[in-house]
Formats: sequence, C-alpha cells, structure tokens
Amino acid sequence: MKKFIDESWLVLVLGIVFACLLAATQTTLQAKIDDNRARALNNAIAEVVPGLADKEELEVDGNQVFKCLDESGGLVGWAVKASGSGFIDRITLVAGLSADGGAIIGIKVIEHVETPGLGNKIDAGNPFPEQFTGKSAGLPLEVVKQTPQKPNDIQAITGATYSSAYVTDIVNDVITRIRPQLAEHR
Amino acid sequence: MAEENGSNLQQFSDGVLANNPVLVQLLGMCPTLAVTNSLENALVMGMAATFVVVMSNVITSLLRNLIKPHVRILIFTLTIATFVTIADLALKAYMFEVSQKLGAFVPLIIVNCMIICRAEVVAIKNGVGRSLADALGIGLGFTIALSILGIVREILGSGSLLNFQILPDAFVDGHSWVIMVLPPGAFLTLGAVVGIVNQIRASRSKGGAA
Repeated sequence: MKKFIDESWLVLVLGIVFACLLAATQTTLQAKIDDNRARALNNAIAEVVPGLADKEELEVDGNQVFKCLDESGGLVGWAVKASGSGFIDRITLVAGLSADGGAIIGIKVIEHVETPGLGNKIDAGNPFPEQFTGKSAGLPLEVVKQTPQKPNDIQAITGATYSSAYVTDIVNDVITRIRPQLAEHR
Repeated sequence: MAEENGSNLQQFSDGVLANNPVLVQLLGMCPTLAVTNSLENALVMGMAATFVVVMSNVITSLLRNLIKPHVRILIFTLTIATFVTIADLALKAYMFEVSQKLGAFVPLIIVNCMIICRAEVVAIKNGVGRSLADALGIGLGFTIALSILGIVREILGSGSLLNFQILPDAFVDGHSWVIMVLPPGAFLTLGAVVGIVNQIRASRSKGGAA
C-alpha cells in the first residue's frame, strides 16, 4: 500500500485538482453555454418562421414545439426542435411548419459535428436545407442523388449522402409524429 | 537540471521556424488537414492548441521533479485532457458558432502528438521559462502553418477570407475550386507548402553554411 501511494500520489492529487478545476470551469461557463444554445434556437426559429412576433412553448410527444404568433396573436406557423443521429454525432435542427400544418416552411440545423467541407453543408446558407422550404408535410421526403424527379424528393449533398439522409430522416420523423397533434393545440 | 544550449528566445524561434511542428516535424496532421478549410477555423484551432500546449508545458515543468518516469505519460495525458476540455467549454461559451464548425476537432487536440511531444522532450527536463518559450514557439508555429493552409484553401475554395468575399462573383458562383475545401485539396495544399518549405531549408543549408 505504501509503495502504491509512493508511486502514484501525484496522479491522485492531480486527478482531484484537475477535476475541481473542470467543475469550476463548467459551473462558471454553463450558463453562458446554455444562453448560446437558447439564442441559436431562437434565431433559428425566427429564421424558419417569418413574421414571428411571439411564441408559446409546448411539449408535444417529447419534442419542444413552438406555436408562433404574429403581433395580433394570430398563428403564423409552428417550429419544432428535433434531434437525431447524424453521420458523426447527433444533429439538432428546427423545422418550421405552416399554420395549417400542411407544408414545411423551412428547416435550420442548429447543432452538428458533420464533416467540414462535406456534411457541414447541411448548415444554413447552403442549397441543401433550402430544398425543404415549400415541401408538402403530407408525404415523407426521399433523398435522391440525381436531380429530383418527384415533389417529395430531396437532392443529397454531393459527397455527403449520409448527412443529407440523416437530416431528412429527422425531419420526416418529427413531422410524422407531431403534425397530427398540432390541431388540438391550435 | 541541465539546460540545453541556446537561449529561451532560440527555443521560441525554433518552434516557429526550424522546428515547425506541422511543416518540419510533420506532427498534428489531422487537424491541419481537417480544419484549414477556412482561415477562421485555422486561427481558432491554433489558438486553442497554443493554450493547451502552454498550460501543459508550464505545469509539467513545475512538477518535473515530482513526476515519476513510469507515470509520466499518464500525467501528461491527464493535464492535456483537462486543458483541452477547458478550452472546449470556453469556445462553446465565447465563440459558439466557430465551436460548432470545429466540431469534434477541439476535443481531438488531446491526441495531437505535438503537445505531448513537447512535454516529453522539453518540459520534463527544463525550467518554466524554457518550457514556456518552447510552448509559445510551437503554438505560434502551429498557428502560422495552419493559417497558411487556411488562407490558400479558403481563397481558392470559397473565394473568401475570414468570411469576407474577396474574389468576384464570377469565380465564387459555381466556379471556385471546391476541391480546395475538401480533403484532396488539403493534401494538395499541404504537400505544396511542405515542398516549398523543404526547398527553402535545403537552399538555406547549402548557402548558409559559411
């Protein structure tokens, strides 16, 4: 026992000291990180649902759903936060639905660690996410590699078919689950 | 403790030039290839790695008389992992968007060979001053190397620099060399830069030897 302590006391001490240092850093910064995430979420919702003046947060089937209202309190659309597996790690996005739940008015990916230069083209500012705007929410979307033929086709990012498919899956899944339940919250 | 010959300033400048971790030692290739598709990513990665190597070297140097040889790698890794986590949290708090773009490559700084190499080669044997100079030099050398690649790849691949478009629309819309922001472009650029650096070094040693 003495030999063990003799050999490894520094490792044990450093382990404790560094753990305290990390705990202190986390405690100090967590609030700011949470704020950043909330800000990214709010920005994403505002981008995805235009004309938004106020929102009501609901929980529908385990997802955060935002009822988006204009200045006079009228419904302008719905924003849903959804996440799922991506190619590298989890992808979190916001999907916007029209007020009647019939069309997708846009999506925005807010967190991902997809491959820079390839999978990260699921980010805003690229053609890929813009394809979702205007798609009907009634049919599941399909990812295709060539030029889209059918109205519910989404063209994959060149070199990032998996990332494209994972995003589409997340969107399909959340719309299929949430859309039927929107009517009761209108 | 025996000090190496030369001054701290020499140690610093070696880290930047003669002993550049990326272009001469060919270490830390993974982040070099992965995050240099834009200058902003390259600079932030360089900054984060510099912070980690400085903290790692300073702490290792302060504890150098206490670290038993057979646990030294463990202690190096423990120290490096702690400061990379701190850097990651700091980036998420203060540079959220860039942190998103760098993604998994910030935690991967833990396994960047150049950092543990400095601990093993310099910090465990030298005083704090020398270790700090070495860390700053290596960090700066890393940042400069990454920035050179970042500048080339971002201009040719996206037509922009630090997200400001600098090449005309005709180039950017569909005609920019997209390959430059993809992995093959990384290898091509790195190969070209290392080739130029080797050429400079070869002609220096021929002409410089008086």
